[in-house]
Amino acid sequence: MSKPTGGGVNDVTHFLASGGAPGSPTSNPMFSGASQADWAAKRLVWVPSDKHGFESASIREERGDEVEVELTDSQRKVTLSREEVQRMNPPHFSKVEDMADLTCLNEASVLHNLRERYYSGLIYTYSGLFCVVVNPYKNLPIYTESIVEMYRGKKRHEMPPHIYAISEAAYRSMLQDREDQAILCTGESGAGKTENTKKVIQYLAHVASSHKGGTLGRNKEAIQGELEKQLLQANPILEAFGNAKTVKNDNSSRFGKFIRINFDVAGYIVGANIETYLLEKSRATRQAKDERTFHIFYQMLCGTSDETKADLLLGTADEYRFLSGGSIPVAGQSDSENFTQTMDSMVIMGFTPEESISMLKVISAVLQFGNISFMKEKNHDQASMPDNTAAQKLCHLLGINVLEFTRAILNPRIKVGREYVQKAQTKEQADFAVEALAKATYERLFRWLVHRINRALDRRQRQGASFIGILDIAGFEIFQLNSFEQLCINYTNEKLQQLFNHTMFILEQEEYQREGIEWNFIDFGLDLQPCIDLIERPAHPPGVLALLDEECWFPRATDRSFVEKLSAEQGSHPKFFKPKQPRGEADFSIIHYAGKVDYKAHNWLVKNMDPLNDNVASLVHQSSDHFVSELWKEVDRIVGLDQVSSGENSGPVNFGASGLKTKKGMFRTVGQLYKESLTKLMATLRNTNPNFLRCIIPNHEKRAGKLSPNLVLDQLRCNGVLEGIRICRQGFPNRIPFQEFRQRYEILTPNAIPRTFMDGKQASELMIRALELDHNLFRVGQSKVFFRAGVLAHLEEERDLKITDTIIRFQSASRGYLARKSFIKKQQQLSALRVMQRNCSAYLKLRNWQWWRLFTKVKPLLQVTRQDEEIQVRESELQKAKDNLTQVEQDYTDLDKKHAQLIEEKSVLADQLQAEAELFAEAEEMRARLASRKQELEEVIGELESRLEEEDERAVKLFPAACYDWNKNLHFI
Amino acid sequence: CLRSYPLLLHSADYREAFGLFDRVGDNKVAYNQVADIMRALGQNPTNKEVNRLLGMPSADDMTAKRVEFEGFLPMLQTIINSPNKAGYDDYVEGLRVFDKEGNGTVMGAELRIVLSTLGEKMSADEIDALMAGQEDENGCVNYETFVKHIMSV
Repeated sequence: MSKPTGGGVNDVTHFLASGGAPGSPTSNPMFSGASQADWAAKRLVWVPSDKHGFESASIREERGDEVEVELTDSQRKVTLSREEVQRMNPPHFSKVEDMADLTCLNEASVLHNLRERYYSGLIYTYSGLFCVVVNPYKNLPIYTESIVEMYRGKKRHEMPPHIYAISEAAYRSMLQDREDQAILCTGESGAGKTENTKKVIQYLAHVASSHKGGTLGRNKEAIQGELEKQLLQANPILEAFGNAKTVKNDNSSRFGKFIRINFDVAGYIVGANIETYLLEKSRATRQAKDERTFHIFYQMLCGTSDETKADLLLGTADEYRFLSGGSIPVAGQSDSENFTQTMDSMVIMGFTPEESISMLKVISAVLQFGNISFMKEKNHDQASMPDNTAAQKLCHLLGINVLEFTRAILNPRIKVGREYVQKAQTKEQADFAVEALAKATYERLFRWLVHRINRALDRRQRQGASFIGILDIAGFEIFQLNSFEQLCINYTNEKLQQLFNHTMFILEQEEYQREGIEWNFIDFGLDLQPCIDLIERPAHPPGVLALLDEECWFPRATDRSFVEKLSAEQGSHPKFFKPKQPRGEADFSIIHYAGKVDYKAHNWLVKNMDPLNDNVASLVHQSSDHFVSELWKEVDRIVGLDQVSSGENSGPVNFGASGLKTKKGMFRTVGQLYKESLTKLMATLRNTNPNFLRCIIPNHEKRAGKLSPNLVLDQLRCNGVLEGIRICRQGFPNRIPFQEFRQRYEILTPNAIPRTFMDGKQASELMIRALELDHNLFRVGQSKVFFRAGVLAHLEEERDLKITDTIIRFQSASRGYLARKSFIKKQQQLSALRVMQRNCSAYLKLRNWQWWRLFTKVKPLLQVTRQDEEIQVRESELQKAKDNLTQVEQDYTDLDKKHAQLIEEKSVLADQLQAEAELFAEAEEMRARLASRKQELEEVIGELESRLEEEDERAVKLFPAACYDWNKNLHFI
Repeated sequence: CLRSYPLLLHSADYREAFGLFDRVGDNKVAYNQVADIMRALGQNPTNKEVNRLLGMPSADDMTAKRVEFEGFLPMLQTIINSPNKAGYDDYVEGLRVFDKEGNGTVMGAELRIVLSTLGEKMSADEIDALMAGQEDENGCVNYETFVKHIMSV
C-alpha cells in the first residue's frame, strides 16, 4: 500500500488508515487489542452480551454442544450452547480495512471491527463489494482537496477505505468499461447518506472538471468551471427547501433524490440532472414536537431585510399556526446566515432576483394558509370566515381576488352528476382544503425548484457519453405504527435490496451456471419478489397499492373497508400478516426484508387520492402573478372536490357516491405516480453497474464517539452487510472476459501465448498456467475467467508494477523530449544572441579605427559620393516626364477619335433635318392645293344653290294655288 | 579508454551545453538541472537513476547544491554507458495496454491520468506540453504517432 508521506498529511492519514500501533486508544478497554499470544493461549471467543452486543471470553471447557467460558471482563464463568459462541479473529486482523478478509466471519467480529475502527476515527470500512460508513457526528479532516488528490487515480486496495475510493472506482470503471455507474447510498435517517452523496459530487466535480490545468492541485477557485460550481450549489439549495431538523437528524433530507452526472467520452462533466422522490410535504403544515419544518421557512423569517419582510407580509415565527413549535434554533446553525448562503447559491445557479423573491412570496403564502381560521355557523354545519385578514394577505401574495377565494373555499362549485352546484363546506372540510392547498403549493414550489436547477445544469452543447448516478434515499422505516409514507419508502427499499441481491447473489449464481462453473446453488432466501408482489402486483391477486387504488374508486369506501379487502385478497400471502384481534393498533403487517412492519391504514384513501379544492386551484392558475400561475400550470391531474363530496361518517372527508367509476383514468393516484417513478428509477439502475454504500447510524443521540451495539447490529442485518460478505467469500466476485483478461494481463506472462492467433479461452488458460495460480482461486467459464475476492487485486498490483516500469521508461523519454525541445530553443536563442554579439563587437572595434573615424567625418563632405544619388533623382524625373508625355499622347488620340465620332453624328443629324424640311415643304404645297380645291368646290356649291332657287321659282309658277297657300302659310309663320 | 573516445570528441559541446544551464555564473549547475542537461545531450535517464548518481539528495539539496562540469561528466558517462534500453516497440506495447478498443488509440484523459499518477509522476504542465496537438476531436490519441513524436527529438 502506498502511504503518503509529508508532515501535514500525516496528521490526516491518521483518520484514514489505522496506525497499526498496538493498544491504540479505544474507549472501551475490554476490546483493546489482545496480543497474538493471548489470543492463541486463551482461545478467545465472542459471547452475546446485552450491553455490548458481544463481549470477549476465553474457552474453559467444551462439553459436547455446550461450552464453558470465562468472561474476560468480570472473570465470571458462563456455560453457553456452541452456536452462541463466535470465534474471535487473530489480533493480526485488528481494524482490518476489508471485512471480507477476516478469517472468522461472524456478526460479532464484524461489529467488533466496525467499532474498533469507529473509535479510532476510521469511519469507512469495506465489506466485500460494498462500503460501510458509520456517521462520526463530528467533522473529520478527511474531505479536503489534498485528500481528493491522494485518491485520484488510485485503485481501491491502494488507499484506506473512503467514499472517494468508491467514487474513483465508479469513475474509473465508467471510463474503462464505458458502462454507466450508480452509487447507492442507503441507511436510516441520520446515517449520513446526504453527506456522503455530497462528497461523491465534490470528488467528481474535482477530478472530472472540464477545466484542465485543474488536473493537479492549484487554486481551487480558479480551476472550477461554472458547471462544476453550479453542481456543487445544487445541494445547498435543495437542502434549504427539502431538509428539516428532526429528532434524529438536524439536517434530515425529507425527500429522496437521484443525481445523474453526465460525462463525455473524455471523462469530463458535461451536465447533470436531479430527480426527486416523495417530498414529505405534510411537514410544511405540521411538525412533531421538537421538530422543524423545512429550513427555508426559518431562513426567510430570520434572514430577510425589513423591507423585504414588509413586501412578503412576514411576521415572526410564533405568529404562524403552521410552525407548530414557533422558532426552534438548530445547534451550531444560524438561520439568517444560512439564508444568505441559500440566496448566494441561487445566484450562482443563475436564479434571477425576480425568481427568488417570487419563491419567497409563495413560501410566505404557504404560511398564511395556516392562519386562515373558520368558524362553524350557529344553526347549521356551514363554515364561515369571520376574519379575513389572513386570507387577504394570502390573496395578495398569490395575486388572486380575495372574494373569489373566499367563495371557492366556503361555497365551491361542485359537479354532481352532470351539473355544477354550489356546495357549502363544513368547517372540517374548509380546514382540510386549506391545509391540502398549502401542502400542494409547497410541493409545486419544490418541483419547480428542481426543474429550475435541472435547467441550469443541463448542458447539451456537448454529448454525454455515460453517467454516474447517485441515489440518496431513506432506508427502511420501522416505527411503532407506520403509515402510507412508510409503505412507499419500505417498498422502495425492498426494490433496492432486490436489485442488490439480484446483482450480488442471484445474477451471480446464474452466471456461474451459464458459464458452466461447478457451483452448489445456494438459496440465500433472499429473493424479495414475493414481498414486492404483495405491494405492487396489479392483479391476480391485486397487491396493496392496486387494492388501495381500487378502493379509492368505490363509493362509500373507507380505510376499514380497504383493510378488509386486503385481508380477503392477500390473507394467505406468506409476507402478509393480520393481527388476530385488531385492537385499534396495527391494521396489518408486512414482513419486509428488514423485518416485520406494522401498518395502520388510517387516512390511506385520502393520502392516496390527495384531493384538492379544484375551485381554488383553477383560481390560482389564473393568478395575476406569472410565477404563481406557472406553478399551477397543470391543474388537470387534481383530484377535485366532486370525488370527495361530504358524507355522514366521521372524519373530515369521506367518499361520495357521485359516479366515480367514470372518472377513472383521468388522474392518477399518489401510489400510481410513485410506482411509476420508482419503476423508471429501477430501470435506470438496472442498466448501471451499482456501487453500494451502506450508511450506519451509531446512536440516536447525535453523539460523537458512541456506538450502540444493538442498533448497529440491527442495521447490519437489515441491509445485508453480513450476507454480502458471506457470498462474496464463497463465490467468485471478480470476473473478466477472456479478451479483456488477455488484453489486460498478457503483460504479466510474456511468451506464454504464441504470437499466432489463438482463441480467448485457450489463451487465458495458458496465461493462468503461466501465472501459477492455485486452482481454488479461479474458475474458467465459457467466456470469462472467475476469481475469488482479492486475486484480481493481486494481479492488478503485479500489472501495475510491470506497467509502471515501462511507463517510467516512457516518462523518461518524454522528459527527454521536453528537455531537448527546450534546449534546442535555448540554443537557437543563444546563436541569435551570438550573431548580435558578433556584430556589436565588430562595430565596437571599427568605431575607434582612425580611418573609419576619418571616413565618417569626411563622408558628408564628398560631392562625388552624391553623384549617383543625383543621377538617380534625374533619371526618375526623366522617367516621370516620359510617363507624362505618353499619358498626354494617349489622351490626345482618345480625344481625336471622339471628335471624329461626334462630327459623323452631326452630319447624320443634318441629313435628317434636311429630309424633314423637304417633307415640310411638300406638305405645305399639298395644303395650298387643297385650299384652292376647297375654294373651287365652294363656288360650285353657290352655283348649285342659285340653281335651286331658280328651280323653286319655276315650280311656283307651275303650281300657283298650292304655292299660294304654301306661301301664305309660309308668311303666316 | 576506447569507449570514452566519442565523449572526448564532443567534450567541448558538452561543456558548452553545461554552461548554458549555469544561471549563476559560477560554472556550476544546480542538482535539479543535472537530469535535464543529460536529456539535452540526448540521454533518457530516469529521475531515479539521476538521483542515485547524485547520492540521493533531499528536496532541499536538489535546489541548493551545485555541481561543476568535472563532477557532472562522470555521471553523464555512467548514463551513456547504461542507456535506457526501451525503444519504440516497448513504448507502443506499453501504451497498447490502455487501448480499450484495439484501434490504435488511447483516451487522452486516460493517458493523462497514467502519466500523472503512475511511475515518476509528471506535472500537468509537462503533460500539457507533451500532448499539445496530439488529441483528436474525440479526445483520443494515436499512440504510435505519439511515440514517434516523442522520439523525434
